Amino acid sequence: MSRLEQRYRRLLRVLPAAYREAWEEDMVATFLDSRDSEDAEAAQFAADFGRPSWSEVASVAGLAIRLRLDTAGAPPRSVAWGQAVRLVALMGLLVHAAVATVGAGLGLWVTGKLGWLPAPPADWVPATPLSAWQTLWSLTGLLWLPAYVGLLLGHRRAAQLLAALAVLPGVAAATSATVDLAAGAAPLLLTIWSNLLVGVLLVLALAAFHQDAPPVRRRPWLVALVVGVALLLGLFLLEWSTDPWVMVDWPGLYCVALVGVAVAHLVAPALGRRAWTPSWSLALALLALASFGLRVLSLLDYALVGAGGQRSALLAVGATEALAVLAVAGPLARRAADVLRRLPPLPAAPAAPSPPTR
Amino acid sequence: MTISPMADLTDLDLPRYLADRYIMAMTTRAMTEPAFFILTALVDAPRHGYGIVGEVAELSGGRVQLKVGTLYGVLDRLVEQGLVEPDHEEVQQGRLRRYYRLTQPGRNALAAEAERQAANARAARQRLGAPRPAKAGSAS
Repeated sequence: MSRLEQRYRRLLRVLPAAYREAWEEDMVATFLDSRDSEDAEAAQFAADFGRPSWSEVASVAGLAIRLRLDTAGAPPRSVAWGQAVRLVALMGLLVHAAVATVGAGLGLWVTGKLGWLPAPPADWVPATPLSAWQTLWSLTGLLWLPAYVGLLLGHRRAAQLLAALAVLPGVAAATSATVDLAAGAAPLLLTIWSNLLVGVLLVLALAAFHQDAPPVRRRPWLVALVVGVALLLGLFLLEWSTDPWVMVDWPGLYCVALVGVAVAHLVAPALGRRAWTPSWSLALALLALASFGLRVLSLLDYALVGAGGQRSALLAVGATEALAVLAVAGPLARRAADVLRRLPPLPAAPAAPSPPTR
Repeated sequence: MTISPMADLTDLDLPRYLADRYIMAMTTRAMTEPAFFILTALVDAPRHGYGIVGEVAELSGGRVQLKVGTLYGVLDRLVEQGLVEPDHEEVQQGRLRRYYRLTQPGRNALAAEAERQAANARAARQRLGAPRPAKAGSAS
């Protein structure tokens, strides 16, 4: 077996085992045929040093996504996983879009761009005014909003591109933090990296909205965006207007939102309400894991780096939020496991194309 | 199937799944360009994977260059839908070559798709060749 063949077979491992059993030899033969050359020397060079091109890698990766994440020909478990990943991506985009919208509005407000509103609290106003470039850069996060709306309207490619662009500030922040850390100018902040990881995973999850993916119902998700923005604005108004201080940080909000949705999901059947799709259990279990991770890492930052005068209070509230997420994660994971167990274990590949006997 | 916060449980019902897999896929999904060319490549003779790649490139004037992952992503569905089936296998240069042939349903599906595309092209040509309608609101 040539090295080229070994490399291609290694690439094919991304495909489900049952699919490989049916198609691998055929695919390998076709690939090697495509790399043959009449020049024996060139053929030998390709066999020794050749690699599958990026376009070949992309085509196999696309096939793997199709086979593993829900298509017309996929088994029910893949359908469930595909739908769950799309739900995770949708909810992730929804949260990012709502947060970015409210964040941009707040940014304009505290920098005095919305003069018709009451003046913001003095400690919210940045010490030095932002430059035009900094303002523009900070508004890049707003790309989550058209990415979300674009996805709802069926423009999946545009949504993927916009989401990838929206991650760029996170990349820049992580790079800058790394430089500062190396220079000893700043401590290690896990939150920066965890936020970037979430953004990147979200962009990758959007791959589940492939060509064959079912369309998204726009109306409920658009309503969810409006409700999310309204709730966030309400929270900030509460924080602005109340004394003592209401402790709100993003990981905490994610935990509270997750627990709220999870409880509604878990109690719906008991209340005689129509059950949500099984994929919701899977999706919420995945989101519980992400929320828990973000909460714990941000608490580590508070504990190791400090959080001003509210440190002990933040740690106590944060720990409670983490425990609440764990409390709903258990039942969610059990329900998700039940769902997967009940789905019929159909093979992951179409009928093996064995040749007819002649 | 759609995703919504309150979608019902029937999304993953087995009957619905089977209907999606075996019926809807046959009737409602438009034929993709690679599928169209692969079926066309098999009209005159059974071909193996690389033979299909070459024939599709020739049929499309070099515009459609199928990658292996793309080819088998389409071929497995065509086999599953009964439009294509394995014909025979040969071993050449130590490599297994599996040949595929067009089935009668495949021939029918290709003919229907070709007719649909031809009708679309006719409609476009007629419209392109027809004199432009007067602008709305202009004096006649």
